Amino acid sequence: MAAVESVAMGDGADAAGEGRQRLELAALSAPAVLFTVGMIAFPLVYTVWLSFQSFSSTGKQSFVGLANYAKLISDNEFWHGLWVTLALYVLSLALQLVLGVWLALVLFHARRLSGVVRTLFISPFMMPPVVAGMMWLVILDPSLGAANYILTSFGLPPSDWLASPTWVIPTVALIDSWQWTPYVALIVLGGLQSLPPSVYEAAQIDGASAFKTFQRITLPLLLPTIVTATILRSVDLLRFFDIIYITTQGGPGNASNTLNIYGFRVGFEFFNIGYSSALMLTLTAIVFGAVLAFNRLRGAVAW
Amino acid sequence: MASISIRNLVKRYGNFTVIRDLNLEIADHEFVVFVGPSGCGKSTLLRIIAGLEPITSGELYIGDDRVNGVPAARRDIAMVFQDYALYPHMRVYDNMSFALELRGVPKAEIDARVKRAAALLHIEPYLDRKPKELSGGQRQRVAMGRAIVRNPKAFLFDEPLSNLDAKLRGQVRAEIKALSQQLKTTMVFVTHDQVEAMTMADRIVVLQSGNVQQYDTPEAVYERPSNQFVAGFIGSPTMNFFPVELRGEGVALSHDGTAVALNGESKARLKNAGGKGVLGIRPEHFAIAPDAAEGMPVAIKLVEPLGSDTLIHFDLAGSTAIARVDPALRPRVGDRLALRPQPGKTHLFDADNGQVLS
Repeated sequence: MAAVESVAMGDGADAAGEGRQRLELAALSAPAVLFTVGMIAFPLVYTVWLSFQSFSSTGKQSFVGLANYAKLISDNEFWHGLWVTLALYVLSLALQLVLGVWLALVLFHARRLSGVVRTLFISPFMMPPVVAGMMWLVILDPSLGAANYILTSFGLPPSDWLASPTWVIPTVALIDSWQWTPYVALIVLGGLQSLPPSVYEAAQIDGASAFKTFQRITLPLLLPTIVTATILRSVDLLRFFDIIYITTQGGPGNASNTLNIYGFRVGFEFFNIGYSSALMLTLTAIVFGAVLAFNRLRGAVAW
Repeated sequence: MASISIRNLVKRYGNFTVIRDLNLEIADHEFVVFVGPSGCGKSTLLRIIAGLEPITSGELYIGDDRVNGVPAARRDIAMVFQDYALYPHMRVYDNMSFALELRGVPKAEIDARVKRAAALLHIEPYLDRKPKELSGGQRQRVAMGRAIVRNPKAFLFDEPLSNLDAKLRGQVRAEIKALSQQLKTTMVFVTHDQVEAMTMADRIVVLQSGNVQQYDTPEAVYERPSNQFVAGFIGSPTMNFFPVELRGEGVALSHDGTAVALNGESKARLKNAGGKGVLGIRPEHFAIAPDAAEGMPVAIKLVEPLGSDTLIHFDLAGSTAIARVDPALRPRVGDRLALRPQPGKTHLFDADNGQVLS
């Protein structure tokens, strides 16, 4: 409308029309800009500012510059948290990608699978993490849980599961994979369904066995989809929090103390907000770096 | 290199029969084109030969081997798909070498074969590119290259020219024909385009509803169509059909009694068929009658100048017919002409079953 009017009104009116149009655009985009500033930019900048502060037990606040970041380097608990985070990340991601691709292939080829079974397969990730965590807490209870009952009924020794410092990381990885593998499978299934069928016929005529077809055709064609799933899961896994918070709270001892759990405890149990902010920003940088790296990888494997 | 033999072949999808009792012998080194309208079963037949579709009943031989249950991989045939079906993540070189690699051909030989095929198809500059970086025509060549390197017993083409523009289609058509003469391999080509069929084939299989209507050389299919379907399908513009009958000593269009000048042999054939039939005249087989009284009077409704010749549309015996005339005639809409069929160039079909009258 404004553009039409300015044409009709000629040169002199052009500038006025343009100014009005800008004003209209500004008014229309204002809610989105305000929301972004209020909900994303402000908390981020505020956290950066907090990470340069120190809070004493009496609540006194002082500017300490990069001291909180310097403290990270000598903080053993930080390095331990980083190790736990990465171990959990690598283990969970590997499990979810391998099982997710496998599950997607099963769902793709099983044409007769009923809708109910399909829905059951993909339902775990719809469950709230608290519910999933509580459920597994009951199943994995060392004395009363079903898991040990099954192990012992097969003559196997019972496990301490979440109570064992050795097994807690693999166990948490298993719980997370139980919940999120179907999500990966769903993404990969979408990728599988979009692959051109004639390419498979060409491979058949070229003499490719089922394994060769998977290795040389399906997998490379699925790589961009798998990388997308990796990015989505990386963001969640590197910030691993909810299931651990429900099941172990970082324990036993500090065996499952991920960076996110550690930062939370430093901030909201020890009220060291400055140091907690530095921890969280470091974690944010790691997540951001991972996303950037995988995004590049996605470009490299695109076909 | 091998012959292909199809015996009593039936293909059903559930209760729906696509191909019923089909018999076909394709000789070694022969270039055979399957042509027919959509849904006639031509692509299904090709896919059956390729091993991509199972046979319901009947037998299929490639060379001396019965290949009914043999998987596609072990039939030693190569196929060029309508959408080319190149491996999108592989370079052109890898697309062409993949099948050889799977067969354990030594690297040096793979390299030699890929380069030889690339030279033959003029795609050497693109060997390092991925399919998405190629034009439609280049992709088409890569698809052919992938087939050629295999040195297969037979090449199968599933409408490979349908995604190309008209100019490129003509060019690639000529190239495939030249290639077939060079490679001397059995080739089976599926198309719905009768021009492709006519220009490339040693023999044409005209299919309708899963039945072979005629299997013969392009000349024979054009000059001596075995039935009204083939006559109407082959040739462009399509053949004109008019119900005719014997009236006294002459032949007349059944619709309005207009006399048609036919020779004695045609009259005899009509007589054998009970005095009634369908007369087929190709647009290019009309002639201007020197004496207006001898011809069928028509008024021109539409003129389509093609350059080399001109198509005129007119109403005759209750339907629109087309004739191809000399552009020097400069016909105009509304002009009145007297047309007659060229002697010996008419076709007569049974009015009931469409079979050619003998």
